[in-house]
Amino acid sequence: MSFYTIDSLTFSYNRNTSLLENISFEIDNNQHIGLTGDNGCGKTTLIKLMLGILKPQKGAILIEGQNVKDMPLSHIGRKIGYVFQNPEKQLFCPTVWEQMSFSFKYGNEGNRHIMEDRINHYLDLFELKKYKNDSPMKLSWGEKQRLALASVLSRNVKFLIMDEPTIGLDMLRKKQLQKCLQALKDEGKGYMIVSHEPDFLERYVDKLLILTSKGVEVR
Amino acid sequence: MMNLDPRTRIIIVFIVSSAAIILKEVKSLMLLLAFTLVICILSSVPLKKATMRLRKLWYVFIVLAIIQSIFTQGGDALLTLGSIRLLTTKGLEAGISIILRMSIIIYSALIIIIASPLDMVYGLAAMKMPQEIGFMVLLAIKFLPLIRDEFIDSITAVQLAGADLKKIPLGKKISLYTYILTPSVTKALRRARYISLSMECRGFRAYPTRTYYCKLKLKKFDYTIMAATIASIIAIILISW
Ligand SMILES: Nc1ncnc2c1ncn2[C@@H]1O[C@H](COP(=O)(O)OP(=O)(O)O)[C@@H](O)[C@H]1O
Ligand SMILES: [Mg+2]
Repeated sequence: MSFYTIDSLTFSYNRNTSLLENISFEIDNNQHIGLTGDNGCGKTTLIKLMLGILKPQKGAILIEGQNVKDMPLSHIGRKIGYVFQNPEKQLFCPTVWEQMSFSFKYGNEGNRHIMEDRINHYLDLFELKKYKNDSPMKLSWGEKQRLALASVLSRNVKFLIMDEPTIGLDMLRKKQLQKCLQALKDEGKGYMIVSHEPDFLERYVDKLLILTSKGVEVR
Repeated sequence: MMNLDPRTRIIIVFIVSSAAIILKEVKSLMLLLAFTLVICILSSVPLKKATMRLRKLWYVFIVLAIIQSIFTQGGDALLTLGSIRLLTTKGLEAGISIILRMSIIIYSALIIIIASPLDMVYGLAAMKMPQEIGFMVLLAIKFLPLIRDEFIDSITAVQLAGADLKKIPLGKKISLYTYILTPSVTKALRRARYISLSMECRGFRAYPTRTYYCKLKLKKFDYTIMAATIASIIAIILISW
């Protein structure tokens, strides 16, 4: 059974215009998907639908055979890690450390022993340790982006969705993100990454979805 | 279907809602409501849409009216349960007047609400309200939905981070909400700082007196409608006397 099933999905923000029309595709366990398309073609919208933040007007989205509309957001969040396109929308804790440990405290991540190790590992990797006790709101855009990535990567989820995570990252951090993607592949985890960068799309993706006004094209 | 001057709107709403509070008789409240609806139509308030959007509010009013009718005694009994008089004519009147009064206030407020906020600031300034205060009101109106949106975004992020809001015990939930509210307000405040910066960049308060791009001028229609309002209110009061 495929991990994600998107079945003849139709969605628009208002009645007069159609944004996504009759879109279908599948994602298998441990598949690495790239999603591209012009600005404003609805990539972020598609992702929000896949996470159950928005509800489709027609069609269905299934995660491991279960319809997203019947699942509470928190259950979806425990299976799927999501890096928002806008990191400011993702960061809500008073300090960087609390942001990193939130899922361990309130989610199902459980195991307190590995918590500190994992968090420290990712804070080191993205060089955020010195901001441990600072407010995420004080960080620069790129640093917020790194924190959003680190907080999702440190969690133990089956599948990751990253919405344009490379925007705002410098060369070094892009390399580190690539390393993380490689690590995810090695761990046998699937992900979907929205990106316009050929480098990422060629080397870290097995299947490329191109979203156009006509539908999705699989390559 | 004319565009009313913001000052006319403020004056009409002030008169009508004061009358709604002063008047007691069901009959005169009905007349006042009819008058308010006419003004709403004249100033192109989308009545149908507004009524639909305020649906939830009407339920509250109906509950209020029922409570009011049960607890106001006097007059003839309409409905009795054993020896208890559940509903009396006086009670029914009290219930109906509460609904009428609320409707009048809500519909008259719509006359102000559908005006563009900037126009209202100009209107307030023309009525000798300091410009700064007018602008503060405008910004406050703009900011409420922003803070709400920030909060909703944070709640989404919290849930996607795996927290099940339904299963968290109440005490922890309250601390979680305060926890989230702080950054939401911080984000909104930071936006406010940018707005004030950009306003200052455009010379807001740079000079003690201010000129206006739009000069407000009361038109004949404004005078007519104000006079009509005052006349109608007096007539309604006289009828009910
Ligand atoms: N909340 C919203 N309400 C109405 N329209 C929206 C909303 N969010 C996005 N849109 C519109 O939907 C289209 C697709 O947006 P989006 O999915 O963010 O595109 P992208 O592919 O760049 O991520 C855009 O034209 C955008 O203006
Ligand atoms: Mg996007």
